[in-house]
Amino acid sequence: MSAALIFGLLFALMLTGMPISISLGLTVLTFLFTMTEVPIESVGLKLFSGLDNFGIMAIPFFILAGTFLTRGGVARRMIAFTTSLVGHLPGGLGLAGVAACAMFAAISGSSVATVVAIGSIMMPAMVEHGYPRRFGVGVISTSGALGILVPPSIILVLYGVSTNTSIGALFMAGIVPGVMLALMLAFVTWFIAWRNGYPRMKKATLAQQWTAFRESVWGLLLIVIVLGGIYGGIFTPTEAAAVAAVYAFFITVFVYKELKLREVSKVLLQAASMSSMLLYIITNAVLFSFLMTHEQIPQEMAAWIITKHFSPWMFLLVVNVLLLAAGNVMDPSSILLIMAPILFPLATNIGINPVHLGILMIVNTEVGLCHPPVGLNLYIASGIAKMGISEITVAVLPWLCAMLIFLGLITYIPEISLWLPRLLGMI
Amino acid sequence: MLRILDRLEEILIASLMAAATILIFVSVLHRFGTGIPFLYPYLIGIHISWAQELCIYMFIWMAKFGAAYGVRTGIHVGVDVLINQLNPRWQKAVILFGLFGGAFFTFVVGTMGAKFVIELMSTDQVSPDLELPSWIVYACIPLGSYLMSFRFLQVCWAYWKTGELPHHDATNIDGLEVSPTAPISLGEA
Repeated sequence: MSAALIFGLLFALMLTGMPISISLGLTVLTFLFTMTEVPIESVGLKLFSGLDNFGIMAIPFFILAGTFLTRGGVARRMIAFTTSLVGHLPGGLGLAGVAACAMFAAISGSSVATVVAIGSIMMPAMVEHGYPRRFGVGVISTSGALGILVPPSIILVLYGVSTNTSIGALFMAGIVPGVMLALMLAFVTWFIAWRNGYPRMKKATLAQQWTAFRESVWGLLLIVIVLGGIYGGIFTPTEAAAVAAVYAFFITVFVYKELKLREVSKVLLQAASMSSMLLYIITNAVLFSFLMTHEQIPQEMAAWIITKHFSPWMFLLVVNVLLLAAGNVMDPSSILLIMAPILFPLATNIGINPVHLGILMIVNTEVGLCHPPVGLNLYIASGIAKMGISEITVAVLPWLCAMLIFLGLITYIPEISLWLPRLLGMI
Repeated sequence: MLRILDRLEEILIASLMAAATILIFVSVLHRFGTGIPFLYPYLIGIHISWAQELCIYMFIWMAKFGAAYGVRTGIHVGVDVLINQLNPRWQKAVILFGLFGGAFFTFVVGTMGAKFVIELMSTDQVSPDLELPSWIVYACIPLGSYLMSFRFLQVCWAYWKTGELPHHDATNIDGLEVSPTAPISLGEA
């Protein structure tokens, strides 16, 4: 009963278009005030203690690192490198785009930044080389979604923090699915290009490849530092993120010299404002999950699922449908922060690995980024390519189908996500 | 006057971001340094076990004021699927309702925070590692929330007058230009 009230109120508030963070907060406040005896002062305290966790602080650091790198010409060098590797294959520039997105995703941790950084260079280049505009938009807006799956990813940190799952294990778990999705998207790209005979590039010489690699290696090293450092037990994820931010500052200002020192304050402000927005949603999501636990909603749902003898198979199907529906109206971080605390106890109850659930949730939100009505990637691609949303929706269809197949694989073959962290002894 | 406030807000959040990054970076270096025998005697005397706590406090302060800054720049995302379908009069009413909701919520939170901070002031509670008086640490809740509430009212007023909402454009990243031609040579087609 209270569950229906809480969710009803939340949806009603959300539909007025007020920020999601505020809708969450107002729902909690209204409910606590009218229906319960919880001292309202404890809410004020929660607004502080909800963030009092060193793990969460990885988020602002990763955002800062990503903001530096997005502006630092790293994307351009990565594109040059991937083009020198695969440009001569059918659909070469498209394949290079997928690969560049996967690499850039790894260092920026955000899919919006990936679409902007890679798309703004790759889409005009593809048009210039005689590819249809639609093809370029389709490739980039779907590959950009890799940004939240390939580690280090901000969304994975959010999941780890809100369910107390090891962030290191989640990062490792994201690698195999990330590579697999990149390969699937590349295959679709290659197939379409091969069928339609799209132009190829001249094969780059070994010397050219080497130069391109040396130019882009600074960006790639960041992944090694973060993942190697976490896995090797040298840093905690938060420390790794701080080191990544300093490293990103260093290479964009001193190595690539793409950013002047006095422009740094702008980057800081931009990253600070983006992080605050996320941290603000987190605070209110903590309040919301406090209300959920207080009303024992996840426990009741878990009990219900057990009495109904839901098989994991059915449960995962329901989770997918629910998350895909949520993906229609919300962005990945909000979905994760609202749904993870609810789904997590249910899933562990019926024996689903938390790491698997995390990867599954993220792939779901990824799909949500690439389809209307609020596919964020589509809007960004439409801004860059100057194409209408409905046209882009059609353009991404082949890749979107591949993503849905991938979602099915991730859902029902947990080993795709669990193999690597298990091999490394992290779970 | 308002412009000074805007500027202060920006400087505060950007410098907190920078300071926290440097702080954690230095603490990592320090830990490495103590592992090197040659540096050990110099570094072991310096304790920076409080770095994590300070970093958390800095980011919480940044988050509270940054959220207020975000209202001004329109970075807080909402669900606009429904309101885009409404006719203009209803749309205006619903958006104003949403903005007032924001102002109301942040005002209530600010007041609760203020009460809490005032209670803390009469105690001599301190934070675990830094031993800062707790009320100073928690003061970001009332300050940040009241500022945010004020920003919501400002946006409300501007919307009422002009019908314009601050809009955050994610595609517009400084330093990245969308050029009509390829800015790099990609070899021969």
